[in-house]
Amino acid sequence: MTMLRVETIEVVYKRVITAVQGVTLAVGERQIVALLGTNGAGKTTTLRAISGFLGLDDARITEGSITFNGHRLDNRPPHQIAARGLTLVPEREKVFPNLTVAENLMAPVPHGGGDQRRQAERVYHFFPRLAELRNRVGGLLSGGERQMLAIASALMCRPKVLLIDELSLGLAPIVVDDLKRRLVAIRDELGISILLVEQSAAVALEIADYAYVMENGRVVFDGDRSRLAGHKDVQEFYLGGTGSARRSYRDVKQYRRSRRWYG
Amino acid sequence: MQLVVNILVLASIYALIACGYVLIYRVSRVLNLAHGELMMLGAYLVLATASLFDQHPALALAAAVFLSLVSGGLVYVFLMRKMTGEMVLAAILTTVALGIFIKGMVVLIWSAQQQYPAQALGVSNPSLSIGVASISLWSAALVGVTASTYASLFVFLRFGRWGMRMRAAGQNPLLAAQRGINLHGIYALAWCLSTLTGACAGILMALDSGFTVNMPVIGLKAFPAALVGGLDSLGGALLGALIVASAEVLLIYYVDPLLSDVVPFLVLIAMLIVRPWGLFGTREELDRV
Repeated sequence: MTMLRVETIEVVYKRVITAVQGVTLAVGERQIVALLGTNGAGKTTTLRAISGFLGLDDARITEGSITFNGHRLDNRPPHQIAARGLTLVPEREKVFPNLTVAENLMAPVPHGGGDQRRQAERVYHFFPRLAELRNRVGGLLSGGERQMLAIASALMCRPKVLLIDELSLGLAPIVVDDLKRRLVAIRDELGISILLVEQSAAVALEIADYAYVMENGRVVFDGDRSRLAGHKDVQEFYLGGTGSARRSYRDVKQYRRSRRWYG
Repeated sequence: MQLVVNILVLASIYALIACGYVLIYRVSRVLNLAHGELMMLGAYLVLATASLFDQHPALALAAAVFLSLVSGGLVYVFLMRKMTGEMVLAAILTTVALGIFIKGMVVLIWSAQQQYPAQALGVSNPSLSIGVASISLWSAALVGVTASTYASLFVFLRFGRWGMRMRAAGQNPLLAAQRGINLHGIYALAWCLSTLTGACAGILMALDSGFTVNMPVIGLKAFPAALVGGLDSLGGALLGALIVASAEVLLIYYVDPLLSDVVPFLVLIAMLIVRPWGLFGTREELDRV
């Protein structure tokens, strides 16, 4: 069953700059879906459109729709979207720096109510390191611990879909591997879906069931893991398969076109 | 001994008013320059409720306190809510306009003369003696109210779920919204609490010695206390109030009574030169980039 459906949305910044055009994607139940692309491809804008943060940058969804569990979510305020069970782990400023780890977990408002202490224990079970750091202030955590806390506090909202912006950014590969394993465990045990926005295709394709590749504000490519990992272009430009100098997917299209046209 | 009591009373006044500045600044980074006027409004509300419940002073006081809380909420809903997400400067200027508006309205309704809510309520203000010093009943009540306000605010912000959310919203409003916290609810709560504490200060001062429309000056004098403490720290506001009050009382006693209105701002300027972020204002820099 599809939990989250983004249907041909178009996002315009400051009424003139179109950042995302006709993007369609779907996240199914208990699915991990990756949204890949280089800087400026429109991944974060898409994520912001879903989580309701466009208004701050003077941007709007001008076309298309976002539906979650049968409810329209486009252009709604962020706390209402969070209240429906869609929670974002942002790229930066992801924890409250002056609150302790325990307070960071108690502050979120749970979707549908429930006992937050018990939920905190469940979350500590996924991240035992956080239980040790309970009384440490958020601002003093390391990058990896911060990412753990960000995911943990998002789980305190009891989301049905977890949106993660740049899981691997600025983290050591060993930490990223650990986080990936935990995300899979979280998906399996809590039965939630995860939309993972990543620059690193290698990281995302290891755990994603399905992936979309974005370029210049459009989805240029999508498919399940095996199809994407086996695809020649994705291999060449995102997984660094052929070892050639890095170019963007756009170059491939232009290169092919020119080859077709000029023989 | 009397000096100590005087310092304690004045520090309580400043601290009770200053915590209103701190509450709003801490969650929304808005400096509420209408705080003094809202404080005075509380005192005028006592006059109104006193004529309504003329046989029950306690009921009249409770009604006035409750109405102050409501008026704080109304100020947020009808005025400041539109300002969220706008420039902070615009919001501050709005509070200045609000202050002028409130002052104008109370003069229109109650005229500018000196008012004595204690008489209107029919309550007396006996002097209590502590050893060699003496303190009036309502001043003693003010010290007690300040102490219990700070104690309950501390417990609320440290352990209460909504207090935690208030701190979270003050640190990172975007993330707070994403964690399902309704920012408008938090800001409205801050305005209600701030107006409530301010009005308590205004009411108790007015019961002690009457008041005129110039009462907001006291609110402005409490502002240095908040700033000396660091504007976003309640503990700092308490200490700042003590520093400003001690300087004021001692200089009045030993130098010149006319210094009263000058001293708080002298302390403020001295503080701004030495440590512009206040005594406890550094804690914001704890964040690692």
